[in-house]
Amino acid sequence: MQQQMTERHHLTKTIFLSLLGGSAFLIQYFDFPIPGLPAFLKIDFSEIPALIGTFIYGPVAGIIIEFFKNLLHFLFHGSETGAIPLGQLSNFVAGSIFITVTYFISKKVKGLKGLLWGLGIATCVTTILMTLANYFVLFPLYSLLIHLTFADPEKLAIVLYGVAPFNVIKGFFITLIFIPLYLKMKPYLERHISFS
Amino acid sequence: MSQIAIGQYIPGQSLIHRLDPRAKLLFVFAYMILVFFSNHLYSYTFLLAFTFVAMFLSRISLRIFLLALKPILFLIGFTMIFHLFLTKGGAVLIQLPIMTVYEEGLKQTVFISIRFILLVIMASLLTFTTSPMDLTDAFESLLKPFTRLGLPVHEFALMMSIALRFIPTLWDETEKIKKAQMARGADFESGNILRRAKSYIPVLIPLFISAFRRAEELALAMEARGYKGGEGRTKLRELHYTHYDVWLVIVFIGLCIGLWLLRR
Repeated sequence: MQQQMTERHHLTKTIFLSLLGGSAFLIQYFDFPIPGLPAFLKIDFSEIPALIGTFIYGPVAGIIIEFFKNLLHFLFHGSETGAIPLGQLSNFVAGSIFITVTYFISKKVKGLKGLLWGLGIATCVTTILMTLANYFVLFPLYSLLIHLTFADPEKLAIVLYGVAPFNVIKGFFITLIFIPLYLKMKPYLERHISFS
Repeated sequence: MSQIAIGQYIPGQSLIHRLDPRAKLLFVFAYMILVFFSNHLYSYTFLLAFTFVAMFLSRISLRIFLLALKPILFLIGFTMIFHLFLTKGGAVLIQLPIMTVYEEGLKQTVFISIRFILLVIMASLLTFTTSPMDLTDAFESLLKPFTRLGLPVHEFALMMSIALRFIPTLWDETEKIKKAQMARGADFESGNILRRAKSYIPVLIPLFISAFRRAEELALAMEARGYKGGEGRTKLRELHYTHYDVWLVIVFIGLCIGLWLLRR
């Protein structure tokens, strides 16, 4: 009996994660550009389902949601860079870093304060890492794959005035939405997922 | 909505539609790598000609392919301008007071546009002629050998098919919740960006809660029907290679030889 219960919970978890992945993919459609930033940097809240999954089942669950979100996006929209989807790959890396950092910090510091600190520090870490990744990895890869090559000063300008503020603003919006959302959902989730 | 419901799949009975999804998937990936070996006007023309033949064989109207190219027009335009004005080398073609266009710049512009078009059309051809479900089956079948290395291939395929199956349902649900909130006076269109962002909270909460309920119900239903993981499961629709797929291999070898002969 006990084993049967855990099996069903495992199945529920598997299904819930795929539904969260599906809703993350859908939420990506409600994106909006930020005035003043390049058009390819669009803000969406598709990190929210991944965060929900992370707070219920741990960071691996969140990373799985990020993975499915980007895989679905790749299947439905393809990629500019052919077989190696750089855009989806960088979204996956950024999202995974964000949720993992948030999770571990809010585990260390309890309560609302931990949540705030977690999201804040996650925003900073993601911004720094994605800025570096864009400058040293993604832009060279774009130049390799589709010959989209930028001179160093232009690359620096795009990264500093485009990618970096974009990640800060995105983190800010996610924090703004996720905290009230999570606080409202928490009682429900605790009642229903007491086993995890 | 129907666009999201089925992805980009356009049902049909053409030669390309009838190819085995696994063969198509492998071919498209190999082709995309092949495109990067093309380095010359002749080889690009060769690949373009092949892509046009494939488009013709799929019996999908040109208009739909053009629509698929629309999202990358901006990127193509951007790289074009970039290369036209900034890449130097070769003879000077146009000399204007504000800019100079070099031969090398023009060459790069043309090549990159063709490369973009080739990649996007080939990827679209795959998703136009293969349903997402078939693609998932193809993934599962191709990844099966990795099960021995501990990769949860069956669970991956299960999650993928559940996500694909429920995307339309989740979308309908989102629309329903949005309308319900609008009936209560919610406003999603006006206000500044902060207000608009915050207006999504009352949509997302019911969406997640109903997703969780659905997951519980589906898990119960699956268990009641005796679901117990991937081992020893049979499939409703099985994939079979046909002689068309052998032709696909021959075509690919032909492409490789052609490119090898045309490269400098």
